[in-house]
Amino acid sequence: MAQLNKQWVEKWAKKVNEDKVLKVIGKFFTANFVIGMDEKDYLIKVREGKIEMVTDEITPNMMGWQFALRAPTASWSKFVEPTPPPMYNDIWAMAHPLHGRLKIEGDTKIFWQNLRALAWMLDVMRQV
Amino acid sequence: MAAKVEPITGRYIYVPYEGEEYRIYYEENGQGLPLVCLHTAGTDGREWRHQLCDPDITKNFRVIAFDLPRHGKSIPPRNFYKEEDEHKLTSKFYSEFTMAFCKALDLKKPVIMGSSMGGNICLPLALDFENEVKALIAIECCDYSPGWWIDPLWHPHIHGGEACAQSVFGLMAPQSPAHYRWETWWFYAQGGPGVFKADLYFYSVDHDFRELCSKISGKVPIYMMTGAYDFACTPEMTKQTAEKTKNAEAIIMEGIGHFPMSENPDVFKKYLMPLLERILKL
Repeated sequence: MAQLNKQWVEKWAKKVNEDKVLKVIGKFFTANFVIGMDEKDYLIKVREGKIEMVTDEITPNMMGWQFALRAPTASWSKFVEPTPPPMYNDIWAMAHPLHGRLKIEGDTKIFWQNLRALAWMLDVMRQV
Repeated sequence: MAAKVEPITGRYIYVPYEGEEYRIYYEENGQGLPLVCLHTAGTDGREWRHQLCDPDITKNFRVIAFDLPRHGKSIPPRNFYKEEDEHKLTSKFYSEFTMAFCKALDLKKPVIMGSSMGGNICLPLALDFENEVKALIAIECCDYSPGWWIDPLWHPHIHGGEACAQSVFGLMAPQSPAHYRWETWWFYAQGGPGVFKADLYFYSVDHDFRELCSKISGKVPIYMMTGAYDFACTPEMTKQTAEKTKNAEAIIMEGIGHFPMSENPDVFKKYLMPLLERILKL
């Protein structure tokens, strides 16, 4: 099972930036969002579908974030499996009120506006 | 070389219902027992294209898939643009309109097979139309499926097509072929504005059979088929619904999700064919 730490998040970001489809579907995806794993927050700065920066040391200079996806590391670990198990294969599946395994916080409108590119970006986690 | 042409025929039929005459598009193929297929929320009958073309099915069944008003090629009622309340699909309209369509086509005791909201509507059909249907194949069906009637699915700041499509993408199993999953995504992306959300009013709000399942007599068999990856109607929810409904049984399908007919027709067929054989013997 993958160790979900800063190094892993950076490897994921590198793979995201190599993805050729995101250049198309992520053209207007510009936002800062947080991936929360247990108590650890990673700020992901996305500009036009590319991840410009990943950090776990969030400072005032970053001017905050628009939305956060927070879940226990145990849930993320299932999500990133190459073939994830039922109820863990999708962030909306995990966040749905019936399941509550992931929380979508902040400005959820930005989340919904960018959902196609975001979901593709998160799916790249399965290649790490 | 002869062109590859599918055997599906598409036509329009006028269905009278409560003072309105609805122009309804339907596709069909096959002969024998009528098998009326109901699409999922916000989409249309294209979801059934594999079953409509499958000779193993169409040799004994007249397979028919229609688009509800506002879906696919079925136009909305003429005054839709000046409705003073947000449109919401109701259990009453959905069940009665389905039967009005069957009546317009002069179908005698059809089998009705629907998925998702088309699965859920099988419960009202069993309760209110038990003398008019032969059997019900209720795919991804449960007595209550909350949590989907949400504003992001119809909001001017959000691309409705992409948001609706992406919201259902994870309902499909990762094992299902990618091109079929993305084809289903495409059907969702083509829905009219607000239609998916309106259907989900039925799916998550108006459909509440938690106290009504026990009132179903059991005269009509209900086969409840649910995919293991369905997070909207989980296998457990289907099992619980079947347990409290007379003459109902739950069939859990492994390695497939909420759209069996369109996300993985080959796996779906393995589960469907034995049921169709049983229905022919009823």
